[in-house]
Amino acid sequence: MRNQSPAGSSMTDPADPSSLMHDFDVTEAEISARKAFLEFGAEDVAKLQSLKPLAQRYATPMIEDLYRLFLAHDPTKAFFRDPKSLERVKQLQKEYFIGLTEGEYGTDYVERRLKIGAVHERIKLVVKWYLGAYAFYLRTVSRRIFDEHKNDPAKALDLISSLTKLIFFDMGLAIDTYIAQREKVIRAQQDEIRELSTPVLRVRDRLLVVPIIGLMDSARAYQLTDQVLRSIRAHRAKVVVLDITGVPTVDSAVANHLIQTVQASRLLGARSIVTGVSPDIAQTLVRIGVDVGKLHTLGDLQEGLVEANKILDEA
Amino acid sequence: MKIPVLKQGEYLIASIQEAATDADLQLLLNELVRRVGEHRSKGVIVDVTVLDVMDSFAARLLRDIANTVRLRGAETVIVGIQPDAAFTMVRLGMTLDDVATALDLEEGVAYLDRTLKRKRGS
Repeated sequence: MRNQSPAGSSMTDPADPSSLMHDFDVTEAEISARKAFLEFGAEDVAKLQSLKPLAQRYATPMIEDLYRLFLAHDPTKAFFRDPKSLERVKQLQKEYFIGLTEGEYGTDYVERRLKIGAVHERIKLVVKWYLGAYAFYLRTVSRRIFDEHKNDPAKALDLISSLTKLIFFDMGLAIDTYIAQREKVIRAQQDEIRELSTPVLRVRDRLLVVPIIGLMDSARAYQLTDQVLRSIRAHRAKVVVLDITGVPTVDSAVANHLIQTVQASRLLGARSIVTGVSPDIAQTLVRIGVDVGKLHTLGDLQEGLVEANKILDEA
Repeated sequence: MKIPVLKQGEYLIASIQEAATDADLQLLLNELVRRVGEHRSKGVIVDVTVLDVMDSFAARLLRDIANTVRLRGAETVIVGIQPDAAFTMVRLGMTLDDVATALDLEEGVAYLDRTLKRKRGS
């Protein structure tokens, strides 16, 4: 739940698990560090606040100009086909534009920035157009500020520099959300691949077959052990056939892991049969001194299944 | 706290609790060895389902129970070793190669029934 105070100066708690700040690991310390690096301080806040009347005056023409730019280019035009949603985003842009001069750049502000970044990532509005829009903001607003302070260019420059800091702060946050969202997808896919890489198949009651395909590394071997042991308990398996026909090579670490899997399975009360040991792997196992007496091996999966059925039928 | 030992037909059943200390386990060994003779039991089941971890003392004691009980003329089966515990034991080299294991109590009873039948048949 968000803490909303009636004054509107509500604070979003970065520790709140429903907030994007929590999702993207943006803490208050992180926000302060970013502002410090941009040398964004109290005087910048004051200067930005002083721009508010100007922002209010020019918000509508500014946004119209911005959307003329968007609509003049095919890649960005594609996002605004629906006139109703066009009006809605224009309104949001206007709020954002005036919000730049509100003087409140705390956690709520950050949360809103992250949300906008996340939405842009979701609708696949890529970073280049996003940054282009910021460039448009900066150069048009700078021109207005200069127009406003024709007689005091130093002051205009000061104001623009404060605005630049804030805009870069915003861009940093938005780009982070792009990256974080992609990373989330990559992580989810990696998990899926890992799951897929060691399917544990139930062939008949109390018999599991684990076809192992592709290169084994230690991480995958560990995951295999874990999955086999859990499956034995879940399916009350008595026999496990580990078929390594599809494994091109093994090293000593993986070979040891295979033996550990067999031994741990036995502690759970299941017998393991290893099938499909290729000539290469057989030679490797003997050469690296694996105690092959610990493994119950058979030529191929068919023989393994016959043996497994025999064990189960005897019981 | 003393680990209770239940008698069920020809078998003795002991369930190790989570809080069992090394001393409790040692007492369990003594108790099982004594009662195997007292009841002329043919099998012993030690259930370790509640143990998430198995240290080397506990693993060694399970092996000692099995070997001592064998000398007293009965079979032992350890049941309910958890996946994580099993993996840790194997990594520490405690593979209990000469001790029978089964998935749970039910399987343990089935194992003892089978083993005894075979023994008596021959």
